Amino acid sequence: MLPLLRCVPRALGSAVVGLRPLLQPALRPCTRPFGLLSVRAGSERRPSLLRPRGPCACGCGCGGLHTEGDKAFVEFLNDEIKEEKKIQKHKSLPKMSGGWNLEVNGTEAKLVRNVAGEKITVTFNINNSIPPTFDGEEESSQGQKVEEQEPELTSTPNFVVEVIKNGGKRALVLDCHYPEDEVAQEEEGESDIFSIREVSFQSTGESEWKDTNYTLNTDSLDWALYDHLMDFLADRGVDNTFADELVELSTALEHQEYITFLEDLKGFVKSQ
Amino acid sequence: MSLVLRNLQRVIPLRRVPLRQRMEAVRSILGVQKFDLGIICVDNKSIQHINKIYRQKNIPTDVLSFPFHENLKAGEIPQPDFPDDYNLGDIFLGVEYIFQQCKENEDYYDILTVTATHGLCHLLGFTHSTEATWQQMYQKEKQVLEELGRRTGARLHPLSRNLF
Repeated sequence: MLPLLRCVPRALGSAVVGLRPLLQPALRPCTRPFGLLSVRAGSERRPSLLRPRGPCACGCGCGGLHTEGDKAFVEFLNDEIKEEKKIQKHKSLPKMSGGWNLEVNGTEAKLVRNVAGEKITVTFNINNSIPPTFDGEEESSQGQKVEEQEPELTSTPNFVVEVIKNGGKRALVLDCHYPEDEVAQEEEGESDIFSIREVSFQSTGESEWKDTNYTLNTDSLDWALYDHLMDFLADRGVDNTFADELVELSTALEHQEYITFLEDLKGFVKSQ
Repeated sequence: MSLVLRNLQRVIPLRRVPLRQRMEAVRSILGVQKFDLGIICVDNKSIQHINKIYRQKNIPTDVLSFPFHENLKAGEIPQPDFPDDYNLGDIFLGVEYIFQQCKENEDYYDILTVTATHGLCHLLGFTHSTEATWQQMYQKEKQVLEELGRRTGARLHPLSRNLF
C-alpha cells in the first residue's frame, strides 16, 4: 500500500490523512518529516536513539531522513544548475591583461604582478560582492516581463592593492572600492570607475592587519594628493581598464562559485 | 576651494596630475582658486549623449560647460553670499575626442588644458555667439594661455582662435 500512497501528490496526501477516523493510525507517504511529532505510541517502528533506524520509507533503502520536500528541493536545484550553466559566460576564468598572475583560494582571488623590483598584489573576495538592486517593486508589478528583463548580475568587490618595493618589509596598502550607487553610475553619475578609500602601511611579515598603523582616509583628503595616489596605481597597472577587467573576472568567479555551491547543496540534500 | 578631477572613461589612459597642475595654474591666473571646479573626463559616447540631451546635437565634441552661476557678464567673478555657492560648475572634457584631434607634435595634456581653459571661460560668462563676444573670449583665453606659457614654457593657442 505504501508505494501507491507515495505517488499521491503532497497536497492531496494531506487531505486524505485529514479525512481518516481519529483513532485509525494514519498512513504517511514518507517517514517522519518532523521527527518526534509523527511517532505513534505502540508503533513497532518507533525509533530509538540507541537503535539504528530502519530503511527510508520512500523505498530507496538509505535509512535516512528523506522527505518529499528534499526531493522537490533536489529537482529545483537540478533545474537551477542547468539554467545557470546555460547562462554562464565563461567556462574558465577570463584572463587579465597586463601580465597579472591569478591565484584563487575559494572565494578569494589574488592577482600578482612583478614590475621592476616591485611586487603588486591585488586581492578581492567575491562573497557579498553583488550590490542589491532597488527596482524590486517595479519588477513584481510587471509580471511576465520580469524573467525576460532580468538584469545581469555584476560582482563589484572591494579590492586591496599592496605594493612592496624591492622585497621590503612593509607594503603600501590601498583599499579600493567601486561606487556603491550603481544606478546613479549608469545614468549621468560623476563617480570614478573605482576610488581609493583608505591607505596605510602594513608589515609584510605579519598576516594580521594592524589597526594601530596610521590609516589615511580619503574622505577628507586633499584632491591633489588623491590624484597622485590614483596616478601611482595607474603606473602599476591598476587603472580604469584594470578595474573593468576585474569586474569581469570577479563576476565569472562569483558565478562559478555559485554553481559549485548549488551542486554542493544538491549533493548535501541528497546524501544521508 | 577644490579642483576635483573625475575620469569616467577607459578609452584613453589618462594621468591626473599633469592635468591638475596645469589647471591649478589656470585657476590661479584667472583668480578663481577660491571656487570649486569639477573637471569630468568622458569618452565620445558619453559626451555625445550629454551633447544630445543639453544641446540637441547628436555628435561627440571636445568640451561642455555647466555653470553654477548662470547669466554672468563676460569675465565677471561671482560674489556668492554663502560658502556653498563658491562653485563655478563642471566642465565635461571629451578626452577621447580631444585625443583624436590632437596632432603629433602637440602635447596631449597641453591640448586638454587649452580645451579646459575654454570651458572655464564659459563658466565665467564668456561666449562666442557673436563676433564681439568672441573677441572678448578669445582675448581672455589668449591672455591666460600666454601667462601659463610663461610659467611652463609651453606655447598654447586659444581654442576659439579660428571661430570668426
